[in-house]
Amino acid sequence: MGHNKILEVEDIIKIYGRGENRTEALKGISFDVLEGEFLGIMGPSGSGKTTLLNSIATMIRVTSGKIRLKGEDICAFRGKELSSYRGKAIGYLFQEFELLDNLTARENIILPLALHGMTGSEAEGMLKKLAWHFGIEEVLDKFPSQMSGGQKQRVAAVRALIGEPGIVLADEPTGALDSRNSKVLMDRLSAVNEEEGRTIVMVTHDANAASYCSRILFIQDGRLFHELRRNVQTETTEGFYERIVTVLSQLGGGSANVL
Amino acid sequence: MFFRQIRRNAAKNRKSNGLFFGSLVIAVIAFYTLLSMDKQDVMRFLSTIESDAVRKLLLLVPVIYVVSLFFVFFLVYFSYHYQLNERKKELGLYLMLGMKRSSLFAMLMAETLLNSLISLAIGIPAALFLTEAISLTTVKLVGLGIIGHKVTWSLTAVIGTAVGFVAVQLISMLVLSIRFARTEPALLLKPDAADTQEMAAGKSSGGFFAAGCILLGAAYGLGVTVLGSLHVAAVMLTLILGTVGTFLLYRGAGAVIAGRIRKKGPERPGLYTFTGRQIQENVLCQYKTMAVSSLLLLIALSCVSYGIGTVVGSQAATAKTADFSIQDDEDGGTGEEILKVLKSRECKKYISAYYPVCLGMTDAEVRQVSLDGLKYAVSSLRGVKNKDIQENVIAYMDDDRGYEYFIAQSSYNHILEAAGKEKLSLKDGEAAFYTSMREYPDRTDIYRGALKNGAYIEVDEERYQLLEEVYSDNVVADRQITLEKAFIVPDELYQELMPDNDGLFCYNVLLKKELTEKEGFMQTLQKVSAIFQEKGLVYESYLSGIGRRLFFTVAGSYITIYLGILFMVIANTSIALKYLMQQQANRKRYRTVLMLGADIGEICRSSAKQIYLFSGMVLLVSSVSAFFAIWSMFNGFFRLPYGASLRNVLILTGAAFAVFIAIQMIYVIIIERTGRKDIRSLNTR
Repeated sequence: MGHNKILEVEDIIKIYGRGENRTEALKGISFDVLEGEFLGIMGPSGSGKTTLLNSIATMIRVTSGKIRLKGEDICAFRGKELSSYRGKAIGYLFQEFELLDNLTARENIILPLALHGMTGSEAEGMLKKLAWHFGIEEVLDKFPSQMSGGQKQRVAAVRALIGEPGIVLADEPTGALDSRNSKVLMDRLSAVNEEEGRTIVMVTHDANAASYCSRILFIQDGRLFHELRRNVQTETTEGFYERIVTVLSQLGGGSANVL
Repeated sequence: MFFRQIRRNAAKNRKSNGLFFGSLVIAVIAFYTLLSMDKQDVMRFLSTIESDAVRKLLLLVPVIYVVSLFFVFFLVYFSYHYQLNERKKELGLYLMLGMKRSSLFAMLMAETLLNSLISLAIGIPAALFLTEAISLTTVKLVGLGIIGHKVTWSLTAVIGTAVGFVAVQLISMLVLSIRFARTEPALLLKPDAADTQEMAAGKSSGGFFAAGCILLGAAYGLGVTVLGSLHVAAVMLTLILGTVGTFLLYRGAGAVIAGRIRKKGPERPGLYTFTGRQIQENVLCQYKTMAVSSLLLLIALSCVSYGIGTVVGSQAATAKTADFSIQDDEDGGTGEEILKVLKSRECKKYISAYYPVCLGMTDAEVRQVSLDGLKYAVSSLRGVKNKDIQENVIAYMDDDRGYEYFIAQSSYNHILEAAGKEKLSLKDGEAAFYTSMREYPDRTDIYRGALKNGAYIEVDEERYQLLEEVYSDNVVADRQITLEKAFIVPDELYQELMPDNDGLFCYNVLLKKELTEKEGFMQTLQKVSAIFQEKGLVYESYLSGIGRRLFFTVAGSYITIYLGILFMVIANTSIALKYLMQQQANRKRYRTVLMLGADIGEICRSSAKQIYLFSGMVLLVSSVSAFFAIWSMFNGFFRLPYGASLRNVLILTGAAFAVFIAIQMIYVIIIERTGRKDIRSLNTR
């Protein structure tokens, strides 16, 4: 695992609305993500975690602060730079899969490559490798309506990974899956992270899914509240899971928050 | 509060559905134009001279109106379905917040009523203006300044339009809002998932496309070859083949697109596959709308070209040869008496020229006239399209054998001169063939063929070779006289053939042109008529000829063009609405594609390509079908009269077609812009 910073988030503030309607969703968050890290972002509803992820994904423009990916300020991106960043530098995994249901699995997966001009055998080679890894070879020529939820999310994961992005952003990827399919997906994502050193930033509510991460940031009311690190060498996912649940209980149900 | 809400909602609906609102206004204009037909200058004029025909035509108007309302109903229904779908969430919220179902229902109905009234408020004044313009143009187009223009508006037409239009709107909304008001609020609040079942099912439908092509090809072939005969079976078969073929073609088109995507997609960068799949999905889900719209456009194009054909045909049919024909009549006045009147000072003021028309029938007992040479020439004709007519022409020659009509050459030359044509000069042993049946080109064609085939007649066993040309200029002012065949012969022969009388049929009279131009044709005609009447002459005037011509022009063109425009508007609006409905269901896809790295411009281009190709597919099939339809129409059952220029008709039809494309382009551009705006709004940054 390298120790270079791949993502630097520096004092970002996001304000929605004006005057009386002004709402501060992010109140100055700063953190770095190292190359090869599997970072989890957790927090109660409305804490600002999805706003944070969407800011990194360039779906939202922050009010102030800087977000650098490999040293480049992504907040300054416009037009071509922006679309190139979205398809190439980051891969995005949605909670509701967001597969285009009029495209086959294969076409869905290849789409980000085609958008950046890569087609033919090169694309096919990359597809085959990942499809095998995620166990979706059989559904490649099927339409989403012919697949199960788990298959859909794995197809979506392959689509997020196929462009070999510097960083994969996942927004509640297990949110729409049952526990068995969640485990299959997390096992595969974790393997991609460990074997290929792919950096993943994942927003989740699910302590089980979060236990696969190497580090977790807890957010409350738009601020960083706590950070947990897993000792990858010595700590099991079960052990890490226990620690996460403890923090969550303090965060969401802790006596300090009882009004 | 409730009323303010209704007003606000209605305004929002108008704004966000401008395309549909515009189509409604056009429908209002079309309805009023149709219903106020009896008040049009031309119709008022016609009802004074062709009252029976006009009455029959006006009886047909309500039927046409109801048929158009029926079509418009579907358009309105589709549109409201789309609009309510757009507002599903809002309606769900009203119910969740405690609005009674009856209030929701009342609100929707009131919004509809308000918007209908606003469409009427815009449409009716526009229609009044347009009908005035049509009234003036028709008169001008027909080329006669005879009708004093009167600004009119028809209260019954306004009421008829308003009642029909509002009823259609309210009934559509009633049916839909009952359905929506019955749906559980939770279901209304749930976002729509795009219907994706068709994509998976669409794979095996390639055969439909091939079948559709074959059936359409068969319909085209049948139309061009046998439609002219107008056999019910042939017409029905052509219609069924064409309709089923169109449906099958669109049913299978999705599979053809899928095949192309599978073949080309992997090699094409960018949004090629995505765009293709979007179009495929649209075609698979909307093939019925595409087929219906394509057929409606075909009907619209055919209607308009038929209308144009009628106008051009009737224009060509009558070159004026006389303003009055005064009959040589024992009771009304003999030739000398007529001449006396014509030479009188009061007539001279108005009359520029007059000439005798020598037209008469031979007596079989006195003269031997044989048509065997003509009959042989007709029967030996090969390759005649319509054998029935050929047989009928031959049979007709056997009736009243020996009693044949003859026209003196000098009279006919006067007629030719009046029509501005070159004079006829017959050599020894020559005669010319005349028929007034110019409106029946199939019949005239047979005679023309026979003349080229060396037809001749014999008078007292002396042979007269017929000239190759068919003459068919009006011999009298009113075209009412029907002469299946007559022979133009030199004056000497004519005199010989009619020894018992002077051979005079009537005197044709022409009015002074500068006077008719100055005082108006109608006025001059009436003044001269009064003189003839006073003198007790039996006459007929060009007026009834004008009446008949106008009637055919107006009845033929007016109604077909009206239907054409209405069908076109309905077809275009339904394509647009169905397309927008489909787009609405998959708005989320664009957001995903954006996230996957497509740039906004690329997505906009993809969206534009989708609508252009989608509507292009509808237009392409209807254009090809229209080409064959128009071909078989002008070659078959609707032959233009001889002398009418098919070229002119085709140029005008081409122009109408260009207007159609332009109108469709307006619709497409509006949809494209709506789509673009929608896509740009996705980029929330």
